[in-house]
Amino acid sequence: MNGMKYDVVVVGAGIAGPIVARNVAKAGFSVLLIDKKPAIGTPKQCAEGISIKVFEKYDIPYDRRFINREIYGAKLYSPSGYELELRYKDVSGVILERKVFDKMLAYYAAKAGADVLARTEALDVIRKDGRVVGIKAKHEDEPIEIQADVIVAADGVESTIARKAGINTYAPPHEFDSSYEYEMLIEGYDPDLIHLWFGNEVAPRGYVWVFPKDEDRANVGIGINSDNPQTAKYYLDKWLKENNIPAKKLLEINVGVVPVGGFVKELVKDNVLVVGDAARQVNPMHGGGMAEAMGAGTIASKWIVKALEEENLALLKNYTTEWWETDGKRLEKVLKVRKVTEKLTDEDLDIFIQVLSGADTEKIAGGDYGEVIKALLKHPKVILSPRRIKLLRELL
Amino acid sequence: MPEKIRVVVNEDKCYLCGGCAGVCPTLAINVSPSRWEFFQDKCIYCRICITACPVGALSAEPLEVGE
Repeated sequence: MNGMKYDVVVVGAGIAGPIVARNVAKAGFSVLLIDKKPAIGTPKQCAEGISIKVFEKYDIPYDRRFINREIYGAKLYSPSGYELELRYKDVSGVILERKVFDKMLAYYAAKAGADVLARTEALDVIRKDGRVVGIKAKHEDEPIEIQADVIVAADGVESTIARKAGINTYAPPHEFDSSYEYEMLIEGYDPDLIHLWFGNEVAPRGYVWVFPKDEDRANVGIGINSDNPQTAKYYLDKWLKENNIPAKKLLEINVGVVPVGGFVKELVKDNVLVVGDAARQVNPMHGGGMAEAMGAGTIASKWIVKALEEENLALLKNYTTEWWETDGKRLEKVLKVRKVTEKLTDEDLDIFIQVLSGADTEKIAGGDYGEVIKALLKHPKVILSPRRIKLLRELL
Repeated sequence: MPEKIRVVVNEDKCYLCGGCAGVCPTLAINVSPSRWEFFQDKCIYCRICITACPVGALSAEPLEVGE
């Protein structure tokens, strides 16, 4: 297998990697997609919920083989039990089966012309005259060297190859979430909605989720700030116990760490690009990163194709510029909101969810948060609290 | 100076999720699908990995003099 040479090598076959590989292969360039796992997609580190919009937007088939369940909205629970239900008439999202989905994304890349190698771990970059010219990897126990004009680090939260290539992906410990999740049998929650519980005792800085995969089967998980002295597992087990939910039918256990607090500034260094979790391209509010990875992968692949077509690798830098002008700009705003919500006490959360449940939920569901905040600012318990007013004004 | 430590893994608890490698500021941990590896020479004793582990699989052992 030695002496491999491609236009592009992509490290990591999660979400971003296969999208890049597919798009670059479609344009006629040679590309190799590698993943360290023996089975692409397994194990997953994800609650598996995604917006219905991504299928059309990123040209992904709506294939029932990786769709567990269609979802019509969300239900939010405050610490004292106030509830806010956001229900749409149409399907708003789906709960995927990532094990199948990721493998299918890699399959689409392969069908478009990319080569794909599972159980192939990237170990380091190869440098020549100070420039990265490829990567050293290991397929099973066999060392391989892969030369490539462009290297894409889609290597997840670890971002090993991105970092070895000299891209600064550092984020402080507070800017990660630690997550723990059971796929289990659970009853009593509307299986057409996702369910989210908030509270500083429930899930510090994060939330508990129930994402239904079936009428009585769901991903039940938690994310908390990763610098919390207690573990994510501790908080999830505590929540299940306090709510008398038997955790006796556990089909799967997943864990992971999610970057939720800011995005890699320089997404390109010479001919190396970083995408997805490796670039910290995750929605800091809910910790989901699949749509963000698809977006970044699409922009990255566009500029890789242009750079190769025009034989000008300097064009790759435009990926950084375009991402920051589009998704980066949007996510910076979301991050600002998250940093405000992080300061909310349990009583704040109770008041906010209580007020919201009486407000025009159509507007909230439509994403009109300005109206919501204006409604909150009229609430007596908000008017009397300068701190709450200040927090809300920061959100406007 | 923080106390010099060696980070050790409880393999029965560890899911090989790679989160510790992700939060490590110095690439002192590598996680492959079959093994967890620690590189003492890179560790700066910050303990971020130990706190971040979602299941508490990591712990610290004091380093002996000369190690």
